Amino acid sequence: MTTFDCCLSPQEARIANSIDTRAGRERIYEILDSFHMTTPFIDIERARYFTESMKATEGQPLVLRWAKALKNCAEKMTVYITPGSLIAGRAGKQGRYGILYPEIDGDFYSTLGELDKREKSPFKITDEEVNIVLTEIAPYWKGKTYHEHLNGAMPDDLRGVTYDDDMGLKSKFVVSETSSYRSALQWVHDYDKVLKRGFKDIKREAEERMAELDAESPVQTWEKRPFYEAMIMICDAIMLWARRHADLAREMAGKETDKIRKAELLAMADRCERMPAEPAKDFRDAIQSQWFVQMFSRIEQKASAIISNGRMDQYLFPYYEQDLEAGILTREQAKELLEMMWVEMAQFIDLYINPTGNEFNEGYAHWEAVTIGGQTPQGEDATNELSYLFLESKREFPLNYPDLAARIHSCSPERFLAEIAETIKDGSGFPKLINDEEVVPLYTAKGAPYDQAMDYSVSGCTEARMPNIETYTSGCVYVNFATAMEMTMHNGRMLKYGDQVVGLETGDVTKMESWDEFYDAYIKQHNNLLVKAFRQQYIVDSLRPEHFATPLASVLHDLCMKEGLDLQNQFIPGGLEYSYFEFLGYGTVVDCLAAIKKVVFEDKKLTMDEVLKAISANFEGYEDVREILRSAPSYGNNDPYADAIAKEIDAVCQRYAQKYSEERGVNLDVRYVPITSHVPFGKVVSALPNGREAWTALSDGSSASHGADHMGPTAVLMSNYHSKNRGMKNRASRLLNVKLSPKVVEGEAGTQKIVDMIRTWCDLHLWHIQFNIINKQTLLAAQKDPDKYRSLLVRIAGYSAYFCDLSRDLQNDIINRTEHEQM
Amino acid sequence: MSANEGIVFNIQNFSVHDGTGIRTIVFLKGCPLRCAWCSNPESQLMKPQLAFNPMKCLTTEKCTRCMDNCPQDAISPSPDGLIAIDPEACIHCHTCAEHCAANALNVYGKTMTVKEVIREVEKEAAFYARSGGGMTLSGGEALSQPDFSLALLKEAKRHRIKTAIETCAYARYDDLKAVCEYLDELIVDIKAVDDEKHKKGTGVSNQRILENIKCVAAEFPDLRILIRTPVIPGFNDTEEEIRAIVDFIPVQPSIAYELLPYHRMGQPKYAYLGMEFPYEGKALEEGIMDRLRIIESEANQRFKQKQ
Repeated sequence: MTTFDCCLSPQEARIANSIDTRAGRERIYEILDSFHMTTPFIDIERARYFTESMKATEGQPLVLRWAKALKNCAEKMTVYITPGSLIAGRAGKQGRYGILYPEIDGDFYSTLGELDKREKSPFKITDEEVNIVLTEIAPYWKGKTYHEHLNGAMPDDLRGVTYDDDMGLKSKFVVSETSSYRSALQWVHDYDKVLKRGFKDIKREAEERMAELDAESPVQTWEKRPFYEAMIMICDAIMLWARRHADLAREMAGKETDKIRKAELLAMADRCERMPAEPAKDFRDAIQSQWFVQMFSRIEQKASAIISNGRMDQYLFPYYEQDLEAGILTREQAKELLEMMWVEMAQFIDLYINPTGNEFNEGYAHWEAVTIGGQTPQGEDATNELSYLFLESKREFPLNYPDLAARIHSCSPERFLAEIAETIKDGSGFPKLINDEEVVPLYTAKGAPYDQAMDYSVSGCTEARMPNIETYTSGCVYVNFATAMEMTMHNGRMLKYGDQVVGLETGDVTKMESWDEFYDAYIKQHNNLLVKAFRQQYIVDSLRPEHFATPLASVLHDLCMKEGLDLQNQFIPGGLEYSYFEFLGYGTVVDCLAAIKKVVFEDKKLTMDEVLKAISANFEGYEDVREILRSAPSYGNNDPYADAIAKEIDAVCQRYAQKYSEERGVNLDVRYVPITSHVPFGKVVSALPNGREAWTALSDGSSASHGADHMGPTAVLMSNYHSKNRGMKNRASRLLNVKLSPKVVEGEAGTQKIVDMIRTWCDLHLWHIQFNIINKQTLLAAQKDPDKYRSLLVRIAGYSAYFCDLSRDLQNDIINRTEHEQM
Repeated sequence: MSANEGIVFNIQNFSVHDGTGIRTIVFLKGCPLRCAWCSNPESQLMKPQLAFNPMKCLTTEKCTRCMDNCPQDAISPSPDGLIAIDPEACIHCHTCAEHCAANALNVYGKTMTVKEVIREVEKEAAFYARSGGGMTLSGGEALSQPDFSLALLKEAKRHRIKTAIETCAYARYDDLKAVCEYLDELIVDIKAVDDEKHKKGTGVSNQRILENIKCVAAEFPDLRILIRTPVIPGFNDTEEEIRAIVDFIPVQPSIAYELLPYHRMGQPKYAYLGMEFPYEGKALEEGIMDRLRIIESEANQRFKQKQ
């Protein structure tokens, strides 16, 4: 039995007692075991054939070049079927793998051979492959990558806060761009369209639209015609790629001696012949068709966090219901097929060569979020039997992919919430919850039609997408506002960067005589970072369409097809751009402001001189000063003193965003979702007046600073509620982590407590919430004995990852999150 | 103390084990009992009390703020690097706690008005509405501040906050009756039926307690009553004891019964207050709770079925 004198979550109990969860899932586990916890390797074929074509098409319209390059990939890349799988289609070799996107980062592949040695998310590659990359691929991209273009375009004053080297590879972690290691932000396709129509029909539409063009118009023949040619070509490419899998399946069937497997392979061959060209006829068709599109999207480009799965319980349900009725599918078979898809997904790893990108996405993170629940376009509850099947699968087979997101609204059925609570209680972090009552009104306020807003899919980490009306957004700027606080204290400087004036010289902090004067200085530093961030993002957005096209995503988008414009274009008539910038260190900044206001200016317990000396010494010899600062009011405790400051800081961001979003015609709104980057961003920040020690993690998303939320999880929710400016629309998602000990949610009463908490969270119109239900002792034990705890999943930012896949820093960060236990 | 003011030593949010739903517990100071196993020793005296947590103290090498600010010079460094307070010189002004950087010196109990308490409680009202929770008065013994308790409950009701009280029922019946008018749920302990045993364990006779419970159950037949027994090793942790308690309880559907296993989580606080922990080394025998739970669930079946 366990050594802990406490209550265990089901996940903890399984590990502690080595309980076998494999019964009935032998086949799925056989696939999983073949790659689980192995170091992924890099497959270079995509990069090779993509580059080969791009070399041959210089000068042509980009969207057409992209389609040709993908066609080349579709024709030449080796096709694979995972042994034992019922779904065909991989973007690379057997096992756990990642692929290369040299159009993004091909200029610094000299480090490829060393990727297996890095601590965070290592990858393997053979010397022979490195050689091919360095001789055939990298040289072509030298001078052409987005990354180099951006690095060159960045004016010196922006560089000073963006990069810490001349190459633009090392982030300064002050105002960081995240666009140079991905071609766009998270996205979701209209999979429903794929299943209902198939690519033959989508191709027919492209042909018709091309035929309707004015053949004598110089504008249309140059601007639009190549687009539709590309659309036709991309349809051909994906259909061709799929058919090659049919051939492979048939070939494998020919060699197969096992009768059952042979029959399976032949059935797969039949499906690959028809999917995704034709409409799906049944559930198995639908799964295969969706999978082909999903995998080909990965070959198309590195959209950050990968294309999400969309509202799977909605678009798959008609096939599920119909097959069950017809007796050609059982509930268990449907579950097996979905889980087969999950283990296929788990093999493709989103590879970041860029060291900064890697820092942001620890634990081999990727987010093909599956959305369940929510409402129909007409606002009725959309929960169905498949929604429950997804939850059941996560409880029984808690793999870290795909991420599961449940949409909650005021009329979500009680059973849905109870099963969500049961799944959350399992302790592996699924599902995360997104609130319709916040997203839908906000999205309509920003301009979306009501029915499209109602039909949003959860995408990426915590975001929402409307796949036929929103347009692509660039990798967003991450603004480390904790540095604004540091720069206020040190007159524009950061201890990490020595004498360089990184911010503004707002004056000697010890000479400031009033709170207003200090606050003013902070706001000046804060605004300076905002200005830099918006300027940087404007350059990022302007350069993006010169480098990237996305024919597959465009052919599935209503507006792109109508307007004849690639989705990578910045402006598409009728399109809405909901992009955002990231606020790092919200709780940290608020707590610093509250501490200075209260301790220095109101209670006069400390002088500014004492505070400055203490933080400059990282509190060594000033332990008492640190403790006094820590006892000041802090964010996350439902304390109006701190929450009022938090609300004002949010308003400062929103007001600025509003002003310049209007000018630009796109939204660039404030978001509080650090993924895992609050750890590396903390590493450049010295000690701060909230008592935070130098180089430690910043607060995470809209959660409280570590250990600062001593009033319990309900208070954290209330602080979020009170710090949000709901009368303004220039805001985006807020990530909220809550960690509970299993004891608190024990039994049926515990399930009800989670349900009640979710209902209240919904009432409070908070965007997101996710739970870690785990004992601190388990995490400490896993650090000591990683082998035993290999399967331990924890919730990180918007996703769950294996605890033992994470760096020591991030492990400690999770351990230090406040665990709420009240009796 | 007037009805409008009382001494509160803690307000705890997100309480999920004391009453229905998600609740906020208001802990009032002062208790007429002196249970040997008490897990809230800081609650026993009515007046505010200074406590010292040596684990939090930064040591006199790093911080001398308490000594520097004591108007009586009653605090001096102790040989172990911590502090010593001269009880003769101390006038209980608690200035030291105000200046303590690390909150190692801490005062249990502060005077609060009804309005202040309700304002704190109402901050979490969004959670009560969904969970059926609300405010629970606890202690100490809430009824040792009867006027304040009543005023809090009245005000909570005016704010449509659901109410509960946790009491040992060692109180004037009139006081108990008065608060019951404003309660949604009454939580009351029976620690032992045998009076001698009760006196030994708690310092008081149980006659008034048992009488009060009978009277309340009869006079408020619709009030939800949860009768609880803390299962204390070496005191009442036998099937005979628990059965005797269950047999005493009036059989009616408004009543439920619950066993609370003994825990030692209050132990460190004894040291902070400079008190001896009288229950050192005691723990429940393994498996006993499982056996006692059978009696608990049989009793609940019986109460529920009574119409």
